[in-house]
Amino acid sequence: MNYKMMFKVLGYILLIIALSMLPPLVIAFITGEGDFLAFLISMGITGVTGFGLTRIPIKKNVIKIKEGLAIVTLGWLFASVFGALPFYLSGSIPNIVDALFETVSGFTTTGATIVRDVEALPKGILFWRSFSHWIGGMGILVVAVAVLPMMGSGGFHVFKAESPGPVADKIVPRIKDTAKILYATYIIITLTEFILLIFGGMTPFESIVHTFGTLGTGGFSTRNGSIGAFNSSYIVIVITVFMIMAGTNFSLYYDLIKGKWRDVIKNSELRLYLGIIAVSVVAITIDTNLSFYHNWFEAFKHSFFQTSSIITTTGYTTTDYEQWSTFSQGILFVLMFVGGSAGSTGGSIKVMRILVLIKLLKRELTKILHPRAVLSVRVGGQPVTDDTLLNISSFFMLYMLIFAFGSIIISLEGIGLVGAASAVAATLGNIGPGFEFIGPTQTYADFSVFSKLLLSFFMLLGRLELFTVIALLTPKFWKTEL
Amino acid sequence: MKVMIIGAGKLGTKLATAMLNGEIEITIIDNNADVIETTKNHLDVLTVNANGAVKGVLEELKINTYKMAIAVTDNDDTNILISSMAKKLGCNYTIARIRNPEYANQLAFLKKIYKIDRIVNPELATANEISRYLMGSTPFYFGDYAQGKISLVNFNIKNSAHFVGKQLSDISQIDRLLIVAISRNGDTIIPNGATVLEENDTLYVIGQRDKVADIAKELSAIRAKKQIKKVMILGGGKIGFYLADKLTKNGMSVKIIEADRNRCKVLAETLHHNALVIHGNGTDINLLEEENLADMDAFIGTTGFDEENLFMSLRAKQLGVRKVVAKISRQSYVHIIEKLGIDLAINPVNITASEILKHIRGGHVVSVSLLLDGQAEITEIIAAENLRVLNTPIKDIEIPQGVIIGAIVHKDEVIIPQGDSVIRTGDRLVIFSLLSEVPALETFFRLKEGRQ
Repeated sequence: MNYKMMFKVLGYILLIIALSMLPPLVIAFITGEGDFLAFLISMGITGVTGFGLTRIPIKKNVIKIKEGLAIVTLGWLFASVFGALPFYLSGSIPNIVDALFETVSGFTTTGATIVRDVEALPKGILFWRSFSHWIGGMGILVVAVAVLPMMGSGGFHVFKAESPGPVADKIVPRIKDTAKILYATYIIITLTEFILLIFGGMTPFESIVHTFGTLGTGGFSTRNGSIGAFNSSYIVIVITVFMIMAGTNFSLYYDLIKGKWRDVIKNSELRLYLGIIAVSVVAITIDTNLSFYHNWFEAFKHSFFQTSSIITTTGYTTTDYEQWSTFSQGILFVLMFVGGSAGSTGGSIKVMRILVLIKLLKRELTKILHPRAVLSVRVGGQPVTDDTLLNISSFFMLYMLIFAFGSIIISLEGIGLVGAASAVAATLGNIGPGFEFIGPTQTYADFSVFSKLLLSFFMLLGRLELFTVIALLTPKFWKTEL
Repeated sequence: MKVMIIGAGKLGTKLATAMLNGEIEITIIDNNADVIETTKNHLDVLTVNANGAVKGVLEELKINTYKMAIAVTDNDDTNILISSMAKKLGCNYTIARIRNPEYANQLAFLKKIYKIDRIVNPELATANEISRYLMGSTPFYFGDYAQGKISLVNFNIKNSAHFVGKQLSDISQIDRLLIVAISRNGDTIIPNGATVLEENDTLYVIGQRDKVADIAKELSAIRAKKQIKKVMILGGGKIGFYLADKLTKNGMSVKIIEADRNRCKVLAETLHHNALVIHGNGTDINLLEEENLADMDAFIGTTGFDEENLFMSLRAKQLGVRKVVAKISRQSYVHIIEKLGIDLAINPVNITASEILKHIRGGHVVSVSLLLDGQAEITEIIAAENLRVLNTPIKDIEIPQGVIIGAIVHKDEVIIPQGDSVIRTGDRLVIFSLLSEVPALETFFRLKEGRQ
């Protein structure tokens, strides 16, 4: 392990975090709601620490796989710890564990909150919460890859470890340019939604906060009633569409700009993703219309929004879906395990993995009938290698294991099985709200300190796709290689 | 005319054999001394033991005096290189064999940039023939000539009461059609009006396309007529791959049995999902039956072993598979195949040789196909102004035994020649001849003064 190099890069990451505290600092200064000083101090601490680390003299300018994995995991940990400073210092969240939970929830784009009354928070803090979604959605380390010349080819290890989905692909030959293209696309979509939401009657501040929350597939709002509080069908539809866009593989937008719309239409992951949404929306619309709304438009609007919100792992709500029938809630619960597309800002298992697993299942069924058959699993005409198949199967297995054991541990809280299980599913999948104890009208505030830390860990696990973090926890990782 | 063949493999020697007559001088180059030695002993050709891709070798042989260079070594890239060089060094017409499936979509491009006149792909051509046969509505093999106006069909009469025991002159079904040859127990007979048909004769019938289609339809009505949907292919080599690719794209489901595991993986990863790749030995009859061989509509043997193809095709026929095709590379099996009752025995080398031969028979030859496993051929020519036999009734022309003028297309009108039919300038002639008579045919249709 090249520790010096690792800490040096972590220093740069802290500088990026410090820099990203500038916009909330400005907002705090303008609004003058008493959080300005907290941001100034936080920025100072983060900046100085970061600057100090970047001064470390290094001998070898190399980032290998191990350093890459460590940088990603520790980078996210550092970002969460230092990112929690404004919450703590401003007194908005006086408990340090709560502040950490809120920050992890922000950066991992989970959107699970311990704040009961969001509307009481100062604007700078609200902005910082949502801004962390936006940064975390695309990836903190992607920024580092994009701007740091020193990352070089080692940047790909970092990029791979942080990017969501089973296989990380570069869009253009250079990893740096890939990162830049992804961020440029991200910024363009952000500006579009920001403007569209202002047209819907939101204030620019609320618009930017919700844009960040949508595109990072996070879910932090400025209102206690989330999107439902705005009482505007226009806003509901706009946010629904942008949630779905955020859950789509970002490289498809690049293809679209390049005029390869045929490839985009044929993309099998996109088709399955939209297909799952369509089927769920139809089922829930019919069900909720008959049992609850008795109004087709209302039923469609809410089911479309809620389905998109859960599958993309955003976690915004327009309605208390716990009043729906068990059938509709069941669909939402299952969608918590689907997630967005690979290469999107969405979390959870990802549609790509589901797609491959379905095909793998089909293959195994064929093999029962034809034991000697040689079959390949293909996605979009491209064969999936056995290594990838194995990786995806183990990912799914590990995900379910963590879900199962996590649920058992959280159930020690005595909050009912559905509440406990959905808390693990919602944090591991970076969704936010779950059912019962942490339903759409509830918060995570009542969990014990231990559970809050465990759930924060799950959020990180989920965002970094299990293996990156788990690898660091194995003793083998820390042994010096031979 | 001088022709150079580079590569003395199956195709190379086949071509040399088919071309040999007084008119053509053949030079064969191969860098394998043993192969050259065998060739030298069997064929009346000039043999050179050298690497044909070396510029010096080509120059020393005065490649610029050659009318044609045919590169048929076992390496595609070498063939491209040789053809391109030969062309640059002044050879009139160059042909390269390219068989890599990965190159199949860029042949036109390769031709253009390397200035190769013709590219042949025997495996692709074979697969095309087989799929054409499978997709055709008749249980027979069809060939089209004169831009589709004239067809040749061959079919086995089995024990049909319409044919067996009758003299040709008595058969009413073949009005305005011409039976050009009969294959009986592996022998080829050139029939006349008095020839009596026997059970299991295979007839080669030529005539106007719709007339031939009619008789084919009539005959197929006797047998079960069902579209081919399920096909089993034995062997996942190049032919198996091309064939499976083509059939699945036409909506058929295909099972490929391939013995090599790595090849199986390649096939599974590249073929359409309607193709099921089974890893196993083709001679393992239990495996084939487990994979529902009896349920198949067609069975194609395309492995590298003639014996395996034959034997398993026979088994498939016994189990009631309707169309059974076997790839046969060796000449000597032709007699056995006839007796086994396999529907179509196809020889990739013959198909390619046919393709190449048409470029050799002078400027007026439109097409040449080899029939009866190379024992006979169909030649299509356009009658030139100075042809010796113009404007003479056919009964007065001394046509060699074993040569039949199958059809004359005169200004879009198809004429099945009678004794007083006349050949006029610009007519298209479809001529059937035994291979042994080809040199005679060449001299017979020679022009009055010189060749073009």
